Order: sequence, then structure tokens, then C-alpha cells
Amino acid sequence: MKTRIKELRARYDLTQEDLARKVGVRRETILFLEKGKYNPSLKLAHDIAQVLQTTIDELFIFDD
Amino acid sequence: MNNKIEIITSIGIIIAVIVTTLFFINNMGTITIDKILLILIPILLISAAAFLIWDRLKNVRKGLPAADERLKGIGYKASYYGFIAAIWSAVGAPLFYGIVLDYELTGHESSAVVVLISGLTFILSYLILARRG
Repeated sequence: MKTRIKELRARYDLTQEDLARKVGVRRETILFLEKGKYNPSLKLAHDIAQVLQTTIDELFIFDD
Repeated sequence: MNNKIEIITSIGIIIAVIVTTLFFINNMGTITIDKILLILIPILLISAAAFLIWDRLKNVRKGLPAADERLKGIGYKASYYGFIAAIWSAVGAPLFYGIVLDYELTGHESSAVVVLISGLTFILSYLILARRG
């Protein structure tokens, strides 16, 4: 699974820590999400999508 | 608030374990290798626990949560590994000591082995999973 979190984060000039604070997780969680090493809960995916003003569909890219 | 209570409780437990270990060292008498090992293992567990608390405090100071859904998942996974290690060490330790070292473990020694092996497994798997993702 790939994500567009890093790209959208840069668009809004947010650091990993800023985004983590806004969605209530640790910075490492955002790091692992960007690397595609962590599958978030639906709630976290929704919260990140809301902060980055996009949809979950746009945010996560599934390979298959 | 829950984070603060958890951190304060953990610090209290660490201090209690350190004080107990110091009492043990003070009343130990002659120091032998097996006694050094007995001290080294709690020190290793305390150091790992202190590291986890320091990591949580660091996040709380930055206004981030001490633990989130990823860390909770890692905690559950590490607990599972610790549980499996406890079962296997309870079965394996008496067999290992009996067959390889020709020594029969007492009930207390078996309990100590189970606690130490499951504790070490939990801490190590937690740290590895937290770092690797």
C-alpha cells in the first residue's frame, strides 16, 4: 500500500509532528504510514484525510 | 490524564524494583556468577522499562499522545509473544535443567525463569516492533 500523505503534507506545509498533533498520534506513526509500513484504522485514515482536505480513496493507493 | 497516571505508576514501580534490587545486593553476601546474573536481568528489564517511559514522557512534553493505536497494537503483539514464551519456558526450563544440566529446578526457580524469559521476550519484541514498524 502506498500513500500520498507526504505529498499532501508538503502542500499544506505541515511537518510530520504537526500532522501527528492534529490527528492525535505519535510522529513515528505518521512516518510508518508514509513508508507504507503501517495500516491505519478507518478512524485514523478518516482523520488524516480530513486534515489534508482529501478523501481516503485519494490518500491511499492500493497496488492490486 | 490517563497517560500521566500510567507514567507516574510506572515510575513508582521502577523505583520499587530498584530499591528491592539494592536490598538484595546489600544482603547478598558473597558475590557469585549466578548472583550477578540474577541482578543483571532485573537491571536489563528496568533499563528497558525506563527507556519506554522516557520515550512516552518525551512525546507528552511535545503535546503528542504517549501511546497511540500503533503502539497499542504493538503492545498486544508483544504481550502475545511474552505469553507464548511463558508457556514454553514453563515446560522447557525444567526439562532443559534436568536433561542438560542434571539439576532439578525448585518451584521458586521455575517461576523466576518463567517471569524473566517472558519479561525479556515482551520487552525485546516491543522494542523491535516499535522500531521496525
